[in-house]
Amino acid sequence: MKFFKITDIIIIVCILAVSGALMGIYKFFISEDEVKAELYYYNDLITTVDLSQGKERLITIPQDNSILLQVYEDGSIAFIESDCPDKVCIQAGRISKTGQFAACLPNGVVMKIVPEKESDERDVDLVIGQ
Amino acid sequence: MREMWIWSLVNNTERIVMDNKLTTKSMLENKNKTQIMVLTSMVFAAALVLAIVENILPPVPIPVPGVKFGLSNIAVMFALFFLGKKQAYTIGILKAFFVFITRGAIAGLLSLAGGMLSITVMILLMIIFKDKITYMVLSIFGAVSHNVGQFFVITIIYAGMNMWAYFPVLLVSGLAAGIVTSTLLKYIMPAFKRLL
Repeated sequence: MKFFKITDIIIIVCILAVSGALMGIYKFFISEDEVKAELYYYNDLITTVDLSQGKERLITIPQDNSILLQVYEDGSIAFIESDCPDKVCIQAGRISKTGQFAACLPNGVVMKIVPEKESDERDVDLVIGQ
Repeated sequence: MREMWIWSLVNNTERIVMDNKLTTKSMLENKNKTQIMVLTSMVFAAALVLAIVENILPPVPIPVPGVKFGLSNIAVMFALFFLGKKQAYTIGILKAFFVFITRGAIAGLLSLAGGMLSITVMILLMIIFKDKITYMVLSIFGAVSHNVGQFFVITIIYAGMNMWAYFPVLLVSGLAAGIVTSTLLKYIMPAFKRLL
């Protein structure tokens, strides 16, 4: 078995092309301007945060006192405090676009950005209804 | 019970034959059980050192959180390519247990799921393509499936994660990680060989 063959480049390019295409499709269909943030604690949706107000504010959740989130004026949201060991949630930084997410897995808190209007399932129903 | 034992004996001899076919230069020939065990544990120790080194290094400056190269998988790949499947799985499980005691249950579960899936995928590819596949491609597919396995567990534990949206990220980060780890394995190889 060799370490590297010139034909491997084809495989690498294929993987890049597939991921680029998937990303393009996703952006094309799902991007929306109006977004909100959904906060989950393990399997439960705790709260949704409206990001379009343009007001800075702090958000805490009753399930875990160590976690602090901040909403910024430009409509982005970020974890700013947490007691988890690796701080991946804080490193995720400010997120504001549909499909982005930040998660504090040790504390079981997941935040994701979704379109303001409908959830994905409702969208599908609407298309069928029409 | 006895039938099971005989079956496992047959299965074992089959596996040894297959290992010799797969890795033409298996390094476990003429080695007894104790030597194999010691060798496996030394490779596991190398995996731990690589994991610690990676933690010391600054995080990769990319906009996606929590993505890293998984340098300790270099040791797993070494075990799979040059020792054997059983040794690779052993190191994968031990590695997950180490993550479990140092970083908690969820991190341990993620490590276990990713590790087992990536070793299984690499073994399947080695069986299907034999010598035609290269170490780098094996490593890329191993890294991608490691990511997919971890993300699969995340979608089970935490609701509302859209797997589709993150699939491209998993592919690209797996690609990068696979290239980096296989290249490093190539250059660390002489050091590993000194273990034998």
